[in-house]
Amino acid sequence: MSTRRVLYALGGTVAVLLVGAILHPGFASWSSLRVMLVVASFTGFVAAGQMLVVLVGGIDLSIPWVLNGAAIVLTTSSLGQTSRAPLAIVLALGVGALVGLGNGLGVAWLGVPAVVMTLGMNGVMQGLTLGLSKGLTCASCGSYAPEPLRGLFDGALPAQLFLWAGVGLFMTVLLTLTTFGRRVYAVGVNPRAAFLSGVGVRGVTVALYTLSGVFAALAGIALVAYGGQPSLGLGDPYLFESIAAVVVGGVSILGGRGHYLGVIAGSLTLVAVTTFLQAQRVPEYGRLMIYGLVILAILFAYGREKAHD
Amino acid sequence: MREALRRVSIGYLVLAATAVAYLVVYTSRLGRFPTSFDYLSILNTTLPLVFVAIGQSLVVLTGGIDLSVGGMVSVCVAVTATTVSSSVFWLVVVLALGTACGALNGLIVAYGRIAPILTTLATLSIFTGLALRVMPVPGGSIPQEVRLVLTNPATPTGLIWLGLAVVGWLVLRRTRFGMRVYAIGSDEASARAVGVPAAAVKLKVYALSGLCSALAAVFYVSTTTSGDANAGNPFILTSIASVVVGGVAFAGGRGSALGAVAGAVALTLVIDILFFSGIDPLYQSLFQGLFLVVAVLLGTVAALAARRRRQA
Amino acid sequence: MTETSSMAPAQQESGSQTLAVRASGVDRAFGGVQALRDASFAARPGEIHALAGENGAGKSTLIKVLCGLIKADRGTVEIFGTEVSRVVEPAARRRMGVATAFQELSLLPDLTVAENLLLENPPRGRLGLVKRRGLGPAAEEILGRYGVDDIDPRATAADLSVAQRQVVELVRVLAGEPRVVILDEPTAALADRQVEWLAGHMRQLRDAGSCVIFTSHRWREIEALADRVTVFRNGTHVATRDTLSEAEAVTLMSGRSFAGAYPELTTVPQRESALRVKGLHSGRLHGVDLDLRRGEILGVGGLAGQGQRDLFLTLFGAQKARQGTITLDGKAVAIRSTKDAIRAGIAYVPEDRKAEGLFLPLSIRDNIAAATLSRRNTAGFVRRGAERTAVGSIVDQLSIGKGRSTNRAVDTLSGGNQQKVVMARWLLTDARILLLFDVTRGVDAATKHDIYELVGKLAAQGRAILYYSSETEEIAHLCHRVLVLREGRVAAELAGPVGDAERIVAASIKENHDA
Repeated sequence: MSTRRVLYALGGTVAVLLVGAILHPGFASWSSLRVMLVVASFTGFVAAGQMLVVLVGGIDLSIPWVLNGAAIVLTTSSLGQTSRAPLAIVLALGVGALVGLGNGLGVAWLGVPAVVMTLGMNGVMQGLTLGLSKGLTCASCGSYAPEPLRGLFDGALPAQLFLWAGVGLFMTVLLTLTTFGRRVYAVGVNPRAAFLSGVGVRGVTVALYTLSGVFAALAGIALVAYGGQPSLGLGDPYLFESIAAVVVGGVSILGGRGHYLGVIAGSLTLVAVTTFLQAQRVPEYGRLMIYGLVILAILFAYGREKAHD
Repeated sequence: MREALRRVSIGYLVLAATAVAYLVVYTSRLGRFPTSFDYLSILNTTLPLVFVAIGQSLVVLTGGIDLSVGGMVSVCVAVTATTVSSSVFWLVVVLALGTACGALNGLIVAYGRIAPILTTLATLSIFTGLALRVMPVPGGSIPQEVRLVLTNPATPTGLIWLGLAVVGWLVLRRTRFGMRVYAIGSDEASARAVGVPAAAVKLKVYALSGLCSALAAVFYVSTTTSGDANAGNPFILTSIASVVVGGVAFAGGRGSALGAVAGAVALTLVIDILFFSGIDPLYQSLFQGLFLVVAVLLGTVAALAARRRRQA
Repeated sequence: MTETSSMAPAQQESGSQTLAVRASGVDRAFGGVQALRDASFAARPGEIHALAGENGAGKSTLIKVLCGLIKADRGTVEIFGTEVSRVVEPAARRRMGVATAFQELSLLPDLTVAENLLLENPPRGRLGLVKRRGLGPAAEEILGRYGVDDIDPRATAADLSVAQRQVVELVRVLAGEPRVVILDEPTAALADRQVEWLAGHMRQLRDAGSCVIFTSHRWREIEALADRVTVFRNGTHVATRDTLSEAEAVTLMSGRSFAGAYPELTTVPQRESALRVKGLHSGRLHGVDLDLRRGEILGVGGLAGQGQRDLFLTLFGAQKARQGTITLDGKAVAIRSTKDAIRAGIAYVPEDRKAEGLFLPLSIRDNIAAATLSRRNTAGFVRRGAERTAVGSIVDQLSIGKGRSTNRAVDTLSGGNQQKVVMARWLLTDARILLLFDVTRGVDAATKHDIYELVGKLAAQGRAILYYSSETEEIAHLCHRVLVLREGRVAAELAGPVGDAERIVAASIKENHDA
């Protein structure tokens, strides 16, 4: 069932690439593909976290400002110096983990609906980020990402892609080979039965939200390394992107079904569609509308809930 | 009766607490009580959110969520700001447009069986695109007469509209449709089993949410006197926050749109409180986020206490 | 007595007067489970028609098809001669005069009693608006018409007791004065006096010319009430009779002769106590004492909702005890979570396998391994070889899914095999104490028999078994000893095998006439 959806997702990617290649010679060339892969990797990172919480029937709306906050923490704590890079990375990821932990505790222990908890947390992070950086006008706010990080995107085969492959490997191993992964699917499919089978449902939930925070922070680090300097609103597009990639990748929004391979395909499809529309010189309004329509079409293809009977 | 009071009380309590805080902060800051001008400006700035919150609470009462309110408000703002100055007749078109957008959501959710959060996320993108098409750059205008009728800066015409919104809800609540909305949110399968036409009711609910977004857009343009294709975006967060602060249960079936109206006013007051207490406006969303989470926790605690009391 | 079983009822009666309800050739599958196959059913106006059959025979599915909640995969449904097979909307059936009280889908929990009763027909004032203040009195009037005076119409449905909810549900259906009334297990949660009350109203409706269809687990109710009985087995129509003795009915329902449905109880419990409970208060339990010995099958009987579920859940750590002590093998223990219980060697097999037991889209292997993941864990990784071996051996032992791959999703299995999967999960834990809660519910006769034998075998191995079943018959035959719960206390203890289920029923309702 869910493996079939992975195949659909991969098929979708290939189809978009083929159409693009026919209409635009060079669309599927390596140099163009490389750019698409790099852009898709950012979506892939946030979607990894989003997928984990969606697997247990949750959702993480705090991704935009966790990402943005982590990006700013990275540059302001490293001040662009190579020697401070490791500390800065740890700090940025730590911020993500901390926010994710807060989300998880709120959802699992206090019973706050995931939409409310993470939406509130997004506001908290936005306020903190804007306030503490004085609207990104603080003394160290002009810093760049340290040089080694910016090297992630150099060369014919950028290191960033290996990092994404690593994330893919981590997600796949975690979800299919470990006892934790088994518990995640069990909780996602039927939390009551999982509880009655001795699975620590709350613990699993908290761990997943924490991981989601970490992945959002990771995306923030990668994005600031890519662009050099952070900006405000850096994470805004990634809420929509992360959910769309997860759904296009065949993960059920009701939880319990899906593989990260599908999410990789979903991220690529989304980026390929955007790139294609840009190549066609479709204006922004058209891109937004077509983007929405594409997602609706995919939802109609395999995102429908069961009929009442 | 006491039961009914207890159910909606959380939104009113929050509103009362923020109103007191507002008065305290305002008077200690400026050394005088707020003037009628202050009240009027609060009223006029709240009205758009009040409408969106009513629409959102209808959807949440059925157990759904409408993220596309942002897009619907945006597209209606764009159309209002570009057309109404030529003919007031366009206001009708705007309301019809909002209703149609909402009905599209309803069709997809109720008959297409796609989760509300996904449906409205996708249509949010479509509606925002539409708004950009209508109004690529901010601008536009609204005739002075419309302004004087809707959000008169000197006399509280806004009160009339607020009153009409409240009456509208009270009437709706007293129709069979209103009862069915609660039935679906309480347990959709059971509601269907006892003969509630769930799909048709949901379609209407989403269409009404669209109509509310259109009304909000008209009042928004009337207050700000210009339009912007991204004007609707903030309403996604604030409408959900109003509903939650207003004590509407996120799982559906419990709460009242009046609570959400109280929540919307409280949310607007919070911003004024932050302003008058001299807190850097950059921190605004921090407090809004905290406000949201704390209100939900208060609601949970209150519900638990009520349940315990009833069982004891 | 008229013998009509040789022909499908629909054909047989098509020539006579207009039928109230007629279904013919109905198929309906859920996942891999064929709930109805070529099923037929017919009922006339002005009769009380009982629908009998074992759990899993397809009664509830037939009812859902009749009232338009689900669509038949194949076949036709007619209401008063009008074909309605294509319409899947209970609202449309209601307009035709069909009203249904469901076993599970019941009241709307967040609405008040009054709102539940008057949802589709509320009192209106000027301008056609619903009079919210009028709801309470109107509901009171309806309840009063049915002689119900102990339910506050302003109470929220979620706060009512199971029996009260059932009464409101029944009043809701009866008050519409429908032409076709379908009642699925209407008496399961009711006390004797309430059953009498319901019977009176059912007869009244029949005499007024309505068609009343009901299902029940209690044979004496069917005997007392029904003008005709239709028996279902394995999703299909077996017989429709004017009268039917209990022995015949059991034979028809199970496809076997009355005697020998249960294996003989050959084992003798050991002397050592495995589990001792003293003064347990939890949920509806108000001070339960029990002593379960090794190798013993201890039955828990009583009417539905007397705290049986609370007892099982509390012993398994899934529900908090207010008071009381639990002793395992002579040592006092604190069971605060399901994890604690599993570690202490306790297993709980739930009644509702879909809601509480299974991970339907996951594989047989994932389902069976779920409670013992940490035993085959190296540095967080699943030892897949060990898992395959362990699961494989238990699957063979219980003959689940006829030797096919354990990678198959559980929702493709039949109800019986699904229940075996849940049992297998718990046998893998090597639990010494098994809490079996209505494990034969919705299971076919063959699997039921397998489960009875398995329970006997487990007891012979020295495991202690606490056994509850909604079929009192089972408790009467399978258990070494039976405790009867009433209002959260042990009301009687009967030495087993009791044999006659009526003795357990009698002990369940004694002194209960004032309820």
